[in-house]
Amino acid sequence: MLLDGGMGTMLQQAGLPLGVLPESWNITHPEVVTGIHRRYVEAGSQVIFANTFGANPLKAAGSGYDLEELISAGIRCAKEAAGTHAQVALDVGPLGRLMEPLGPLSFEEAYEMYCRVLKAGEAAGADRVIFETLSDLQEVRAGVLAAKENTSLPVWATMTFEASGRTFLGVTVPAMALTLSGLGVEALGFNCSLGPAELTPLLRELRAWTDLPLILKPNAGLPDPVTGSYPLAPGEFAALMETAPSLGARYMGGCCGTDPAFIRELAKKQAAAEPAAEGRPRRYGICSARSVAETGRVRIIGERINPTGKKRMQQALRENDLDYILSFGIQQQEAGADILDVNVGLPGVDERGMMIRVIQGLQAATDLPLQIDSSDPAVVEAGLRTACGKCLVNSVNGKRESLDAILPLCKKYGAAVVGLCLDEEGIPETWEGRMAIARRIVEAADRVGIPRQDVYIDCLTLTVSAQQSQAAETLKALRAVKKELGVQTVLGVSNISFGLPERQQINLSFLTQALAAGLDCPIMNPNQNAMRKAVAAFQVLSGEDAGADRYIQLCAAMPELPPAAVSAPAPGGSKPEANAAPAGGGSPLREAVIRGQGSEVVRLTEGALSQKTEMEVIEQELIPALNEVGDRYERQMIFLPQLLRAAQAASAGFEVLKARLAAQNRPALSRGKILIATVQGDIHDIGKNIVRVVLENYGYTVLDLGRDVPPEEIVETALREKAPLVGLSALMTTTLPAMEKTIRMLREAKVPCKVMVGGAVLTEEYAREIGADYYARDAKRSADIAREVMNGLAGGGEN
Amino acid sequence: MEIRLAGISRPEALRYLGMRGPVPPDVDGDLDRCEAILRRSVCPRGAWRCFDLCPDGTLSGTAFRPEGQSVRELLRGCSRAVLMAATLGAEADLLIRRAQGKSLLDAALLDALCNAAIEDVCDALCADLAREFAPAFLTPRFSPGYGDFPLSQQPLFAAALDLPRRLGITLTDSFLMTPQKSVTALIGVSDRAPAPKQGGGCAACSFSDRCLYRKGGATCGR
Repeated sequence: MLLDGGMGTMLQQAGLPLGVLPESWNITHPEVVTGIHRRYVEAGSQVIFANTFGANPLKAAGSGYDLEELISAGIRCAKEAAGTHAQVALDVGPLGRLMEPLGPLSFEEAYEMYCRVLKAGEAAGADRVIFETLSDLQEVRAGVLAAKENTSLPVWATMTFEASGRTFLGVTVPAMALTLSGLGVEALGFNCSLGPAELTPLLRELRAWTDLPLILKPNAGLPDPVTGSYPLAPGEFAALMETAPSLGARYMGGCCGTDPAFIRELAKKQAAAEPAAEGRPRRYGICSARSVAETGRVRIIGERINPTGKKRMQQALRENDLDYILSFGIQQQEAGADILDVNVGLPGVDERGMMIRVIQGLQAATDLPLQIDSSDPAVVEAGLRTACGKCLVNSVNGKRESLDAILPLCKKYGAAVVGLCLDEEGIPETWEGRMAIARRIVEAADRVGIPRQDVYIDCLTLTVSAQQSQAAETLKALRAVKKELGVQTVLGVSNISFGLPERQQINLSFLTQALAAGLDCPIMNPNQNAMRKAVAAFQVLSGEDAGADRYIQLCAAMPELPPAAVSAPAPGGSKPEANAAPAGGGSPLREAVIRGQGSEVVRLTEGALSQKTEMEVIEQELIPALNEVGDRYERQMIFLPQLLRAAQAASAGFEVLKARLAAQNRPALSRGKILIATVQGDIHDIGKNIVRVVLENYGYTVLDLGRDVPPEEIVETALREKAPLVGLSALMTTTLPAMEKTIRMLREAKVPCKVMVGGAVLTEEYAREIGADYYARDAKRSADIAREVMNGLAGGGEN
Repeated sequence: MEIRLAGISRPEALRYLGMRGPVPPDVDGDLDRCEAILRRSVCPRGAWRCFDLCPDGTLSGTAFRPEGQSVRELLRGCSRAVLMAATLGAEADLLIRRAQGKSLLDAALLDALCNAAIEDVCDALCADLAREFAPAFLTPRFSPGYGDFPLSQQPLFAAALDLPRRLGITLTDSFLMTPQKSVTALIGVSDRAPAPKQGGGCAACSFSDRCLYRKGGATCGR
């Protein structure tokens, strides 16, 4: 089926100036727009894309035209040209603003904007919608969900890739295929950026990851960097497109640099084209926007983001300490996890809100696909809606209620699902009983349209010290499920050893046997070297790790340490002096902070706690060390890098104190609450984040509202949290008015707080002019200000 | 188009970090490590286009008329103007953001190296342009947000260069570019040698009254 060619360049040739919204011509020059469409229909286009690519609320806002009017006029022009010869697609492009986490646009905002566009397009009579030229998979997800939930338009989607095989935002071809196929688009593919020759290998890759018909709309080659002109003639373009149908392309047209002559040539060549051959190998897996955990090899699911039995994690969840939670994602990725399990269920914590925040944070901080772990369907749905990519849901089980609640969600969002072998009767004691439940789950998944490759059966691990015969039953069930059902398998490994000494021995043995029995995805702690290496060793023995390359790399990266090296530093092995200046006389802990030696600080903090309370360690060791570092910084003996290194070392010490307090169920220490934010309109936040870490190091509780924060939110939070100090940051001259407004609103609302401001464009004088109490020229100064404000509250003097 | 990242100016990166005097070896080593990470992940891209200048100052074929006294001075005697843009791409932002989760030190070093790198990329692009346009003369590059060249003209700039599509650069409400390590600039093309000091320098800079370098008796070198 033939699509059309370029619209933008045709409009420019007809006199549209650059910088004028092309869609405005639907209203001011409808005859030109209709004329271009008509030439495509005459050339053989069977689906034409209306001139609505940039018709969205953001771009229409400055144009002086009404969004709905731009769209209805665009569809009208296309329909007039199409008559009964062609279908009309509502053409929807990127919104023109970068989405979170790198940009300011939230998923819900993008969704709402697309809703308006799609409803207007459907009302105007479009036959389908095509999302095109997108480079952010999350933006496509927002659009596709908006279309599915608010219209009955069939959905096509194409994204724009670089020759590297990634979009501008790093999205890979398999990630696009898995995610969009799962969301139920009718066809998907590529447009713009590259020519047919460059897109052919990407098309081949795409076809391996989806069963859907493919769309191909390349540019007329790669543009000349100097003239901007495209090199391919219509005949050459059509010749390069000849192999595309055999690679699954069913809908073909052109993008930049193509015109009706290209479509005419394509029409000639396509008559003789060979359709795609059947019976090709298909690839499956789950993914984030940037990476895939493919089936067919062992994948480690990292289990550590889970509060069960972990006091410090529970505290972090209660205190909304995202940094702590996310650090487990980062550590597990580095240790070799392929998938991250996310479980944030804890009594007293808003699990739904927390799931959303943790997923957003993890997707900004790591590349790994996620396993959404909750027993509450509302939390599962919130997670599935938030997460970009194709997730694994943990879990459904054989109970009717569970199957009915969870499977439709997995289908809607295109997720894979973990099925637990238990039902209303509990966990069957025989392998046959578990197999029967597995079969029931697979059949139920079949009925809602979830393929076998997306079902991950968990045969359940029971504690061997309590139910000894069950270990063997689990392994038998695993073997049977793998052999007969053709599904993926998962198993939590470490439950097996509760109540026994040297648990790791049991865990290792069970893990190895389970892998041999057909376990695809062990749920485990990848930060335990022995367990991680056991998986790697299995991959060598199974042949999956060709040449044992990965095993060898892993062993080099994680050498076995002799026992002595763990408990004491090797003689002469300490790190070189971290700072140019000598570490002044003081305790070893203070010197380690000043030198920025994190692991030494951890060891010495643990030691200090045998003689001092937590608060004494802070007051007598960490803070004096930080003061010394601050002094050297002020005297320019050291600079920002050394300051930050010391701050990080102190943070490591604080973490020891926090973990100990949490383990003993004692309240966290705080020397006072400080609210900080980068003001509205400004997206620079590294300076503010440095300030946060330094203030936390001094023992303050810092509430960080992030960047681009509206004044109302700052005022409201300051009132609610009763923070005696508010810090505002701005880097740009253009955002200083927002800072001034925030201070004014804080004063008007009579918030009893002091305000400190900082940022590259500020000065002492300007800070005073806009009503700030303090100007913090750097992070060191912000700590001084905090001490002054908090001491003022306590009625005490400097100490 | 892709632009090769030749050198990343280390003095420039150190300047962003506020460092003076001899560089301690450990900081130098950390910078080496971060620079290697940066080079592995980042693929700089650039785009430019040359426009004839209409008598009213509009760039021919566009709706863009650059505003402000500093631009008028820059373009005095020029018959054409080049719009250029360069970016380190979303990977650079992501790299810095992710580093913050692990090590604020690395994040600060990467941020400084990226600031230096995008300047180096712009210098490389401008050197190419100088060869491209020889024997005509090019003025120094001048970016929206400097002097009285308003940042609010960024949307017109972006549209004239088709930046979202060509480089993946979009704007926020307040006209900041994302990815953040991106630069847009205007360059005048003249058939005769420009007057000395045309464009650039402290006089044209809106920061000049609050610049920390000037306070310290130095300049940022632009």
